Amino acid sequence: MSFRYRMLLPLVALFLAVVGYPLVNSFYLSLTDYKITDRANLSVVGGRQYVDALTDQGFWGAFGNTAVFVLVAVTVELVVGLALALALQRQRRLRNLTRGLLLAPMFVTPIAVGLLFRFLLNSQLGVVPAVLGSLGVSYDFFGSGKALLTIALIDAWQWTPFMVLLLLAGLESLPSAPFEAARVDGASAWYTFRRVTLPMLRPVVAVAVLIRGLDALKVFEYVYATTRGGPGTETQTLQYYVYQTGIQFFRMGEASAMGYLVLAVVLVAVIVLFLRIDRQRAA
Amino acid sequence: MKATTPRSGTRRVATVVTALAATVALGAGCVGGGGQAPEETSTKGAVSKDTKGTVRLLMEGVPDSDIVKELVPEFTKEYPGIKVEIQTLTYDQIRDKLVASFQAPKPTYDLVVVDNPWMYDFAKAGFLEPLEGRVDNTDGYAYDDFAEPLRSINEVDGHTYGVPFYNYALGLVYRKDLFAAEGIEPPKTLTELQAAAAKLTTAKRAGIAMQPQRGYKVFEEWGNFLFAEGGRIHDNSGNVTLDTPEGRKALSAYIAMYEKSAPKNSLNWAFDEAQRAVSSDKAAMMVSYNWMLPALNKKGSGKFAGEFGLAPFPGGHQVLGSWSWSIPANSATSDASWAFVSWLTSKQGEKQRVLAGGAPVRTSVLSDAEVREQGGAEYYDTVRELLENSSPLSEGANGEEMIQAVGTELNSAVAGKKSPAAALKAADDEAKKIRDE
Repeated sequence: MSFRYRMLLPLVALFLAVVGYPLVNSFYLSLTDYKITDRANLSVVGGRQYVDALTDQGFWGAFGNTAVFVLVAVTVELVVGLALALALQRQRRLRNLTRGLLLAPMFVTPIAVGLLFRFLLNSQLGVVPAVLGSLGVSYDFFGSGKALLTIALIDAWQWTPFMVLLLLAGLESLPSAPFEAARVDGASAWYTFRRVTLPMLRPVVAVAVLIRGLDALKVFEYVYATTRGGPGTETQTLQYYVYQTGIQFFRMGEASAMGYLVLAVVLVAVIVLFLRIDRQRAA
Repeated sequence: MKATTPRSGTRRVATVVTALAATVALGAGCVGGGGQAPEETSTKGAVSKDTKGTVRLLMEGVPDSDIVKELVPEFTKEYPGIKVEIQTLTYDQIRDKLVASFQAPKPTYDLVVVDNPWMYDFAKAGFLEPLEGRVDNTDGYAYDDFAEPLRSINEVDGHTYGVPFYNYALGLVYRKDLFAAEGIEPPKTLTELQAAAAKLTTAKRAGIAMQPQRGYKVFEEWGNFLFAEGGRIHDNSGNVTLDTPEGRKALSAYIAMYEKSAPKNSLNWAFDEAQRAVSSDKAAMMVSYNWMLPALNKKGSGKFAGEFGLAPFPGGHQVLGSWSWSIPANSATSDASWAFVSWLTSKQGEKQRVLAGGAPVRTSVLSDAEVREQGGAEYYDTVRELLENSSPLSEGANGEEMIQAVGTELNSAVAGKKSPAAALKAADDEAKKIRDE
């Protein structure tokens, strides 16, 4: 074996142990009716768990909730993130301080953020309902029809800085010539933003949305810390549903099948998006 | 920006695919080995005082566990060779830790506490050691002295898999001063409860702090309403019976009371929030665990300490919860574990624990003069009443899942997403399906 292949061996070994084994094992489990509390009667059931998951209303409900969550969270993060990035680009003084402060939420662990907001928004102890109350406004952040939006906004609080980071880097790497030309031609700020900045920034926006979208799909901690999937099943997201099925209800086989279904959907989305991005870049 | 070649594009896709596969696979769950332990009944009763060993014990981080910790030095005086190491974790963490330890070739814990919805599944899975041999052969243990509803939770297929540790029977906690001011007595029926809650509701104070949070809490609270209407969660054969006229009436009464007399925006409230509301004069009543009363009335615990009373829930039949001591089938020191449990849950050990503030499980301790002198005879009489007439939320297989499923439907009804009839029909269907799995 040549030297360069031998150099690859540690990576391959690590990859097989950390990625390969769980991947293969969970696929095997997804083909069985494995239940943690009933391991003696394990039988291979083929694709039944997949059919069960695909015909399970709870799974599709969780799918829908997750899709709404990702859509709302990533849209808010993109819009606010872009506005902040444009503002920061123009900032002249104390740039590093502002950027440092702005990035702080990203470095807090999500479960802590979930707990933080659980108390901030608590109707008895929370500062937010207290302030709203003094203005005569009564709003139940975790009430029916509002809880999913609240969780999406918690995500936006934590991850908008990430969007800012990527978009700001993108903005600062744009060539200055098109902007100077627009200025010379007398284009308004809005026109310049719409017709010059946005088209040139599009590849960065696409990557930023993709990364944030994939990350937001994994939402679990905020749900766990605040609503536990309620009211009803309104905030039951995919990861929470898989956690409940596998860990809380012991049905590991079914949870593995659901995990693989999510993987399939995500892979298709990622491949399609990446191909499109690559095509746009090449064009 | 530089255009990428198709080759590098493919490589990038491959990278992302691999990374994603790794991420999701890790999330999809990997399960380790470990063997199913054989089910063995030890007939060893009283354990010799010179037994040696370390008992590693996992408990929930609650005041009752602190009381047990305080009693360990007393135990060690009698059994100098046995060391008891107690680890405490939050409720959410302990079950996962227990399941992992039960399956490991070398367990992490030698003695555990088991919540009642887990008992059946753990016993059926062969995770726990049957204890009837030890119970029968331990002189003076008087197993019949434990309250019957608590004992029956630990009986699975004719074996005893646990001995009661402390009880979670629910009762009505109310402010005596507010009741006296309005000239009302603790309610005996649901109608009286609704009327009392409505009468005590003012602009600044809710009549009753309710706990409609999805899952356990709403099911626990509504269960009392169901019992008050004459319904039952399980029939005599253990089948789920939720979708009944009594069930629908109970749920409608629950929702009506929530809308009329509970604090605003409390749809997601659980134990903590309700407790805080009652102790800070924001609510006049709550449905809570009987052992909350001494804590609420403890001098210095709040402005209204001493003003709280405990009554059986209207109708007199309440939802029961319990924690029990169990020895894992793979325990490394099962004899030493039994030495500790039998010492702590003996009549004398129970008295010491209750005097230190623990929730009683033995009938004898409820009539003990010293205990009554310290905690108040009236309180212990009510606790006896609660314990004698109570039933758990779950009996049989998949308790946790059944409770979550029913609790989700009930919460949907309280949130106004489903009618009581539709929610109960769905809850009943799901609970039956879960039981049969």
